[in-house]
Order: sequence, then structure tokens, then C-alpha cells
Amino acid sequence: MKSFFWENLRIALSELWGHKTRSILTGTGIVIGIIAVSLMSTLINGVDGLFEESMKFLGRGNLYVEKWPWFGDEDWWTLRNRPRIELEMADEIKERSQYAMVVAAERGRSANLSYKELSAENIYIHGVTANYPEVSTVDVEFGRFFTESEDRTGAQVVLLGSEVAKTLFPQGNPIDKMIFAGSKRFRVIGVLAEMGKFMGAFSNDTQVIIPLATFNKIFHGPWGRRSITVKVPEHLVEDAKEELRGVVRVLRGLKPEEKDNFAINQQNAFRQSYQGIKLAIGGTGMIITALSLLVGGIGIANIMFVSVKERTREIGVRKALGATRRQIQGQFLIEAMVITASGGLVGLIISTIISMAISEFLFPANMSFGVAFMAIALSAGVGLFAGLAPARKGAKLDPIEALRYE
Amino acid sequence: MSLIQVKDLYKIYQMGNTEVRALDGVSVSIDQNEYVSIMGPSGSGKSTLMNLLGCLDTPTSGEFFMDGINVATMGDDELAHIRNKKIGFVFQTFNLLPKSTSLRNVELPLIYNGEIKAHERRDMAIKALTRVNLGDRVSHKPNELSGGQRQRVAVARALVNNPAIILADEPTGNLDSKTGEEIMSLFDELHKQGNTIILVTHEEHIAAHASRVVRLLDGKIAVDEATEKGKK
Repeated sequence: MKSFFWENLRIALSELWGHKTRSILTGTGIVIGIIAVSLMSTLINGVDGLFEESMKFLGRGNLYVEKWPWFGDEDWWTLRNRPRIELEMADEIKERSQYAMVVAAERGRSANLSYKELSAENIYIHGVTANYPEVSTVDVEFGRFFTESEDRTGAQVVLLGSEVAKTLFPQGNPIDKMIFAGSKRFRVIGVLAEMGKFMGAFSNDTQVIIPLATFNKIFHGPWGRRSITVKVPEHLVEDAKEELRGVVRVLRGLKPEEKDNFAINQQNAFRQSYQGIKLAIGGTGMIITALSLLVGGIGIANIMFVSVKERTREIGVRKALGATRRQIQGQFLIEAMVITASGGLVGLIISTIISMAISEFLFPANMSFGVAFMAIALSAGVGLFAGLAPARKGAKLDPIEALRYE
Repeated sequence: MSLIQVKDLYKIYQMGNTEVRALDGVSVSIDQNEYVSIMGPSGSGKSTLMNLLGCLDTPTSGEFFMDGINVATMGDDELAHIRNKKIGFVFQTFNLLPKSTSLRNVELPLIYNGEIKAHERRDMAIKALTRVNLGDRVSHKPNELSGGQRQRVAVARALVNNPAIILADEPTGNLDSKTGEEIMSLFDELHKQGNTIILVTHEEHIAAHASRVVRLLDGKIAVDEATEKGKK
């Protein structure tokens, strides 16, 4: 049987070469389908990678006690009317929770900064406790973080995000320089290492960090974000979350029938929400892609029917000379598969180039070996599927009728 | 035993309510190295008999032995193998593959044989083309050849598998009389070399090349006799 494969391949190639325009047009349907499939998978992989990268900002073992849940469909007004988070709870939580390893508190709001004639507007000012580095991914590049006693005494010291440092100190060393936040003077004690963007949007590089006590002293009023971060062992995060809920309820004096008036957020919320979005986008994409391949396949089937019809007499001759049904069927099947597999290969090359361009300019999206393999297998499969009915028809022709066909 | 042994062969088609007896009890036997013409007006069952002898079709009933093998009850694929190994066809319209060279056309039966290696196929095909005096036309395509040359390629294709019989259906029908004679002398030559030839024709002077003529009428054998040439 092996020799027939090569023979049939040879027939297929010369046949397709003989109808170049037709072959190219027919193959284009598959090219488009395969580009869609492989780009879709590559993009999803890329977005996945991006997501995982972003998730590093939020430690896996971190629980965030906040007023607003990150995701959910609770009534906005109910949420709006929740009391704000009392950051003083942090010490109590640390004392009462068995799981809590570190409990850090933070507040935030925007303000304008200036140094001499240079200014940076709308900079996120982050007031955090001295243990903040233990619950986050901030990294001090130059200088140092502030100490507990600086936090307790409300020292006017500041660490600059890398972007802020570049804006206010285009040249020269910012350490020990005095900058203004509103009317208050702060001494720069450190510069944070560049961190990149969270979910491709919000960047920690445009923030500054000051001690929480200093923040409380300077910025009054209810505005801005307040959050208590509780770091727990990663593998116990679900148990710890339940315990923490209990602790906060007790601290807030909630009665058993009352609902929580706070949210405990965690990385998982992002993960679940992301999975949902990914499934929706990926699912829709796959359906569209499958449709485009189906359309391509119908095109192939159509052309193969035409080809069988045109070559009725040839089939008759081949049968008279001893070709079996199987051999005729194989001939047309291989022809269909050659079209689709070459279409698939071309599609794969094009989508590799496109994904390289995306990697270069947008985000990392590398064509994996698995995706490439799937694309080729899929295109050959479409050929098999599309070629089957026409090939059967050709194989079943009566040699006498076929020989007489004009 | 004869090379071809046909006994009480019937081929009956059902056309609506009427029954058409294309072959109505035909018995004939053909020996090794015979040269037989089958003649008859259209509708006489000549084509049907040829299709059956060529194993392109199966009879409604009757016995048909070829080379000792019962082919009357064979299935499609078995018939394909018999056609491939035992029969060489020559058609009125040549039926060459237009996009393939002479060599490829002649190789075709060997490809479907499935047991012959590529270089052997090539050698055998060149040999067959040389036998029909086309050794210098191996890489020509049919549209680069004259009608007579095309038919000779077809004869080479019929010969190449070394078949038990060569079955020629109006082989001169599409050729002018001079070229037709050339082809006929090629058949005469092949007969002398020991091949068994069955010729289907409606032309007396073509049939006269054979040594025996079988005349069909209404699906039955009307005459089965030696020709002038056969009597000698």
C-alpha cells in the first residue's frame, strides 16, 4: 500500500500544479482558518502569560480586607454605605488570627508633587506600614525603606516610584533631596525598582510611598483607598479567609444575622473572573474559527466534487487498468489533504510572523509547538473530512459508464 | 482447458417493465494465442460481451472462466486485480491520460500491480514502448503525438503487464485507413509473437485480420467460424 501513497501524492501534486489558480483559491480558505486558529490559541497563551505576570503583584497568600469587593454583583448602594475600613484593626487582626503571618495596612490617594521647578501631577500617594515590603513585591533600588519608628512618629520621608524619580530628578541622585507633596516637605530616602504594569494598565512605577502615620497626619477625610493586607500561608489561604472573616466580624461587632459589611479580596477573585472572561472570549473565538475552517472545508469538498466530475474518464481508465476502489478513493483523499495541509502550513507561517509582530509591539505571544502541531493536524483533518464524500463518489463510479463519459 | 471459457452467459437489464436481454445465452471458448474478431450490429450485445470479457462487468448468470479462474462471481476489487494482471485494453478513443508522458501512461498498469519496483516499472515500460516502435517518444505527452502514435502508446500500455488477452474495442475507429492498417499490422505482429487477441469491430476488413470471427445478433451468437485467413 505504501507505494500507492507516493503514487497518489505524485498524482495529487501534478494535478494541483496543473490547476494552480484553483488550488491557491481553494487553499486560501484553509489558510485563513488556520491563521484564525493558531493566532487565537497563541493570543490566549500570551494573555495567560501576561495575567500570571500581573498576578505576581498580588501575593498568592495575601488576603485584602477592604470595603469594596473586587468582583461581584452586590448592590452598589449597599456597598457604598458600608463603613470604611478602620486601619487600626490591623494590630487586632494580627493578635487574634492564627494564620496571619504579617498584617499590613495601607491608604492611598492622589496628589501633586514637586521638586524645585519640576512637578509631577496626579501621583498616587501610598501610605503604608513599615512591614509593607513583606506583603508586596516592591523592591528598593536605591536608598532604603522607612523603619517602624519612622512610621510610628510620622516622619516625613518618601520613596519614589521609578517613573516619578525620572520625572522629578531627570539627572542626579534624588536621595536626601526634599520634595513637596502639596505644602508638606518630604525627604527622599529611596527609589523603587521598576515594576512594570499591573494587568497592562495600572503601574506601580508612578506611585510614591510614605509611612501610614504620616499619611494619616497629613491627609484627613474619608477619601481614598483603605486596605488591610493579611499574609497567610499559601496552602491555607481558604481556611485563613474564613478565620479572618470571623475575626473582622467580631471586631466590627456584627450580630450573627447581619451580613458582612466588608470584603475579603484575594488573588483568586481575579483568577476566577479572568478564567470566566478567557472562557467566553476563547469559546467565542473557537466557534468563529471552527466556522471559518468549516467554510474552508466546504470549499474543498466542492472543488473535489468538480475534480471528480471532470476526471470521470480518467477514473474509468484507471479502473480499467486495475485500480481498486480504495486506490481511487486514496487518490482523491490525498489530493484534498495536500491542499489543506499546504494551506495549513502557509497559514501557520503567516500566523507565526503575526505573532512575532504582536510579541514585538504588544505583549508576549509565542507560537508554541503544540499550537503548530494542532494547526497542521487540524488542516489535514479538514482535508480528510472534506475529501471523503467526493473521493467515495469517484471510487464508486462504474468503469463502463466512466469510460463512456464525455 | 481453454484460456476463456464462457457458458450460458446472460446479461439482463430491467428497463422499467421491459426486460432487455443484452446477452441471451452465449457460450464461447477461446484458446491461447487465438486471434478472434467479435462482430455484430449495434444492439447485438457486442459491447456487453466485450465488457464481460474485459471483466468490467459481471453477468446476470452463466459461467465465465478466465485462465482457469471463475470470474463470474467476483467482487469489484477482485475484478480490478484480474483486469490488471490478465487483460490489456485498447480503446477506440485511446484513453490515455492527457497530462502524463507516454512512459507514465504505459507504467500505469504496473503501478496498480503494486508489486513492481519503480526502476523495474520504467524498464518494462520502455521495453513495451520499444516493441511498438516508440522507443524515442517516451517523454512525449499525448497531445504531442499523432493519432497512430497515441494508439501505439495505448497498445504498449496493454502489453506491458504481459496480459493473458489483449482486448481491443474498435482500435482503428478513430484513425484514418492508412494509420489503421499500421495498427492492425501491429496486432498481427503481436499475435505472431504468441499473444491472444480479441478484436471488437464492425468493419469486415478489420475483422479479416483475425483467424476467427464470432458474429452476434440479438444477444446470441449467430455465426462462429474461421476467417479466410484462419482457413489457410
